[in-house]
Amino acid sequence: MERARAEHDKSETEAETFWKTPRAVPGRPRQRVERIEVMSGSSYQQFQASVNDAWDLGDDDVVSGIDEPRISKAISQTAALSVINSHRVAQSAPRADPGDGARPAEARKPPGSLRHYPGRPRAVRLSALASREESSESKLERFQQLLDRAVLDLDELKQLSWSGIPTKARAVTWRLLAGYLPASAERRADTLQRKRADYRHLVRQYYDAEREEDTYRQIHIDIPRMSPLVALFQQSTVQVMFERILYIWAIRHPASGYVQGINDLVTPFFMVFLQEAAPGKELDDFPLDSLSAERRDVIEADSFWCLSKFLDSIQDNYIFAQLGIQHKVNQLKELIARIDLTLHEHLQRHGVDYLQFSFRWMNNLLTREIPLACSIRLWDTYLAESDGFASFQLYVCAAFLLHWRERLLRERDFQGLMLLLQNVPTHHWADAHIGVLVAEAYRLQFAFADAPSHLARS
Amino acid sequence: MGTREDEYDYLFKVVLIGDSGVGKSSLLSRFTRNEFNLESKSTIGVEFATRSIEVDGKTIKAQIWDTAGQERYRAITSAYYRGAVGALLVYDIAKHLSYENVERWLRELRDHADQNILIMLVGNKSDLRHLRSIPTEEAKAFAERNGLSFIETSALDSTNVEPAFQNILTEIYRIVSQKQMRDPPEGDVIRPDAEPADVRPSGADSVRKQCCQ
Repeated sequence: MERARAEHDKSETEAETFWKTPRAVPGRPRQRVERIEVMSGSSYQQFQASVNDAWDLGDDDVVSGIDEPRISKAISQTAALSVINSHRVAQSAPRADPGDGARPAEARKPPGSLRHYPGRPRAVRLSALASREESSESKLERFQQLLDRAVLDLDELKQLSWSGIPTKARAVTWRLLAGYLPASAERRADTLQRKRADYRHLVRQYYDAEREEDTYRQIHIDIPRMSPLVALFQQSTVQVMFERILYIWAIRHPASGYVQGINDLVTPFFMVFLQEAAPGKELDDFPLDSLSAERRDVIEADSFWCLSKFLDSIQDNYIFAQLGIQHKVNQLKELIARIDLTLHEHLQRHGVDYLQFSFRWMNNLLTREIPLACSIRLWDTYLAESDGFASFQLYVCAAFLLHWRERLLRERDFQGLMLLLQNVPTHHWADAHIGVLVAEAYRLQFAFADAPSHLARS
Repeated sequence: MGTREDEYDYLFKVVLIGDSGVGKSSLLSRFTRNEFNLESKSTIGVEFATRSIEVDGKTIKAQIWDTAGQERYRAITSAYYRGAVGALLVYDIAKHLSYENVERWLRELRDHADQNILIMLVGNKSDLRHLRSIPTEEAKAFAERNGLSFIETSALDSTNVEPAFQNILTEIYRIVSQKQMRDPPEGDVIRPDAEPADVRPSGADSVRKQCCQ
């Protein structure tokens, strides 16, 4: 009966909250509809149109509508440059603040002020989501054009990547976004060679030597149970690769060390570099030993360096007592109280504490909550956010929570709420869901991050 | 998933603690869903499940909090000890270190949990007979010395999982109901923030009680 109810809920909720229609923008507090309408226009599309017109001029229409690629490229570059420059100016002031890790101190004055505006990513347009597959060819071309330049414009790459990276361009783009590959094309080969050699050296220095026992034991226990049902991860070759990556990272980052959950953060990198090494192959049971040792070393070293760069921006999540996460959990709570008081009070009334469900969301960056393919798509955006990522993550978690609002409001006790929050039904999720999720996160950040009084309770 | 019943007489919060990899989550999924995965994912922070059992014709609902075993998580997980009336302190009968650490876990409970919490020492993975490194008698003696109840279980083959939870819940129930006979409830007042040991049955009606969260 429970199951039947769940099925019923599912169809009902999807109809209500799949966000295809403007009125169903999730997280829009029912009781405050009017105020929100005023604030955000009537839909995400309109909001999008109001802030990103410059970009629309620069890409799709021109690139795909004109036969002369050179001309279109020039136009789009000019448009891009002017937009980027104007935002650089806007960004420069708040940039004074050094690290995201140190920043979150004042929740009421959310991070980064002006920098989250249009200079940034053109978030996915809802209309584009459905036809993502057809448009992926032209998108791939745009990536190729960008990646082929002698000196890469990283901001432009971030813009393009934010709404999702085509599979074929993903591995190299991730390396660039992570800051592992240099913008200068001619330096890339050397850098890769050197960094991969560095990694081999680290393996000898730390892993092949006497190991720190507690750290090693914990990693050794966790790896086999990461994805117990996926044959790929049950191969000892794969497990040892993960073990080395994590152990070396932990030893080199004594302030945090290995924290359970970091293992899940290796997986997206590993999969993307594996995909590059074995294009078009079914990866779930791909025999890693069929790759040459060199290929495997590349996957491992690149996963290590990209993970390291990636974690640099969120290291305070993993220091003692996980203060970064505790702080973000509090921010999430305050944010939801501002955005959707009904939901917030519903959770509070039933004794649900934000820490009880959102800790894992933040610790594992939602990898436990959504399918792996979706995590990879989500990381396109995370990586494109780079130093803004630590704060953007908060809004992704808020959007994720609000996505389940209708179902949550139907739950009538603590148990029901907790069980739903810990097992949200995302098994059918695809890239499009993530596109909508990050677009919503972007909208929330736009509306709330720089407007601490917006919808604030008196 | 069949874990939500509408009526119950008592609601008890129980925590599962112990070293990483000893099988806390497996015990929980065996007890609440009768499922077992040879490798279940590591627990991040805390996870929650519930199941109801009958004792003396009363419905007892157990809210069980499964915690991450890694030492690094203790700052987070110890927040969940508050309000717990029972704890299953789990070790792996084949991993000596997990048994040695039992004392540290007891200290954790003393520092963070309610004074009257009932603790059951659980030697899990009893199916691993050939790998056993802690003799049953030794653990039993340790439990007696420390005023804990004791049982060996196997989440894999189900041995004693049901009795482990049944025993601790029944024991909690006895204490609570005896306390009630000593100090009969005045009316049917349930304070949402009440200490769990104060929880009183609502008798015939089915008012929900939130004893802990």
